[in-house]
Amino acid sequence: MQSKNAHASSFRDPSGYVVIDDNAVKRVINPIYFKQYKALTETGFYQNLFNNGLLIPHKEISANDDRIIIEAEKIPFVTYPYEWSFNMYKEAALLTLKLQKYSLEKGFSLKDASSFNVTFYKGKAIFIDTLSFDFYIDNSPWRAYKQFITHFFGPLVLAHYHGSQMLKLLSTFMDGIPVKMISSLLPTKTKLSPTLYSNIHLLAKLEDKHNEDYNGEAKIGSLSKKGQLNIIETLYDYIKKLKLKEHSEWGNYYDKTNYSDSAFDEKSKTINQWVNKLQPKTVIDIGGNDGTFVRKLQQPLELALVSDIDNNAVDFNHKTMKVNKETFMLPFALDVLAPTPAIGLNNKERDSFLDRITALAPDVTMALAIIHHISLSGNVPFKRSVEFFSKFSEHLIIEFPRRDDSWVQRLLNNKADFKDHFDFYNLENFVHAYSELFEIIEQKAISDSKRVIFLMKNKL
Amino acid sequence: MHFLYFDPGLGAMIIQTIIAAVAGVILFSKNLMYKIKLFLGLAKKDKDDVFDDIDIKDSDIDNN
Repeated sequence: MQSKNAHASSFRDPSGYVVIDDNAVKRVINPIYFKQYKALTETGFYQNLFNNGLLIPHKEISANDDRIIIEAEKIPFVTYPYEWSFNMYKEAALLTLKLQKYSLEKGFSLKDASSFNVTFYKGKAIFIDTLSFDFYIDNSPWRAYKQFITHFFGPLVLAHYHGSQMLKLLSTFMDGIPVKMISSLLPTKTKLSPTLYSNIHLLAKLEDKHNEDYNGEAKIGSLSKKGQLNIIETLYDYIKKLKLKEHSEWGNYYDKTNYSDSAFDEKSKTINQWVNKLQPKTVIDIGGNDGTFVRKLQQPLELALVSDIDNNAVDFNHKTMKVNKETFMLPFALDVLAPTPAIGLNNKERDSFLDRITALAPDVTMALAIIHHISLSGNVPFKRSVEFFSKFSEHLIIEFPRRDDSWVQRLLNNKADFKDHFDFYNLENFVHAYSELFEIIEQKAISDSKRVIFLMKNKL
Repeated sequence: MHFLYFDPGLGAMIIQTIIAAVAGVILFSKNLMYKIKLFLGLAKKDKDDVFDDIDIKDSDIDNN
């Protein structure tokens, strides 16, 4: 049974489907899943996961013989695996293993382990597929094991050896990175690791061997619960210890800026004056690095999205968020020149960045010290970048480094012979282009620096 | 009841017995090493760790 208005990403699992009804997220449960749903509810399984903040809370709103409808708490902005930093990815993987262990202890088992079943909400990874739990059948292997390897373990190990850019592969391989590919991409020395050899290389070999078994002749062995718990615990320990090799390269960004302390304080004071007046509940800081600036805001926020192109900066932000136990912060990786596209069946399963951010419509967009990168590194004319910034917020706080700024000079010098093609980069042209779509409310030159900050209001 | 709406991979189902055996050995030797380290006073906790243990506690109290 499928409904006409089921959410475009909700069609694989026959247990039920998601509908977005008047801005509320509802899940329709089909009779085929009634038994599981009742058991999970009556034993307090769901409730305990809610209490621990590991599963998105829901309440039952109607029930009859044909269907049960539950309403889930709405997550204002869903981030996808290919937008997470290394440690965010790790957190999501560990959550999945944690849930499988807990399920086994309570007589259940996760029937799938897709990384799209997890997102970040209130400062932590949370499981969002309520109908993923099924009854555990004694001595049966974990059905979602391979999915866990291709969605979580493989990408994380690849990122460990080749850098965090590997995590973006999930946007091409939505159904997980093929095991054979993971195996072939890993250095030969990984065959000496018992965990990597058995979970990846051997798995790839066996998958290959049984690929042609169309008649189902091979017998699926039985696996004791203890055996399955052993697999889960070794994977947990291994992932928990995984680190990014490149991590140490990320120095203190703010030490590298060309700001003097007084200029930095003035910038921060001015932005705070503006933000305090606007009293936003939600903001997005594009190119927000490790979230330093958002944390300087005095205005209490419900949600602050902080995006950066640098996965390591996002990772650093995630760590600060965990240490401070912040619930308003949501870090994620975003390349403004190539924002996350919509992918999947009918291009509708996973929404694009623009679709999600337009739906959220944060009260204020901050774009500090990023326009010179967009314009000069990305060769983007002002009238194109203003189009981007005008799409989602009512107010824009944007910082413009003038042509004589040392960073701008550096970017221009990189252009060598083509330097003349970037004559358009000056304050006058910027103001002209941005005035087309925004009304400039205030502007302030930061003393002791070559930068100007603007408070603008969307004309749309 | 199992709904096979995605392919769990036949190889992946068969291989789990082997992986579990390997995992058993890893866990056993790890526990042994930990006990030896504990005995020698070498066991230390990673201060940089922001992630919890694998266990989820049963509680009636709202932890949020």
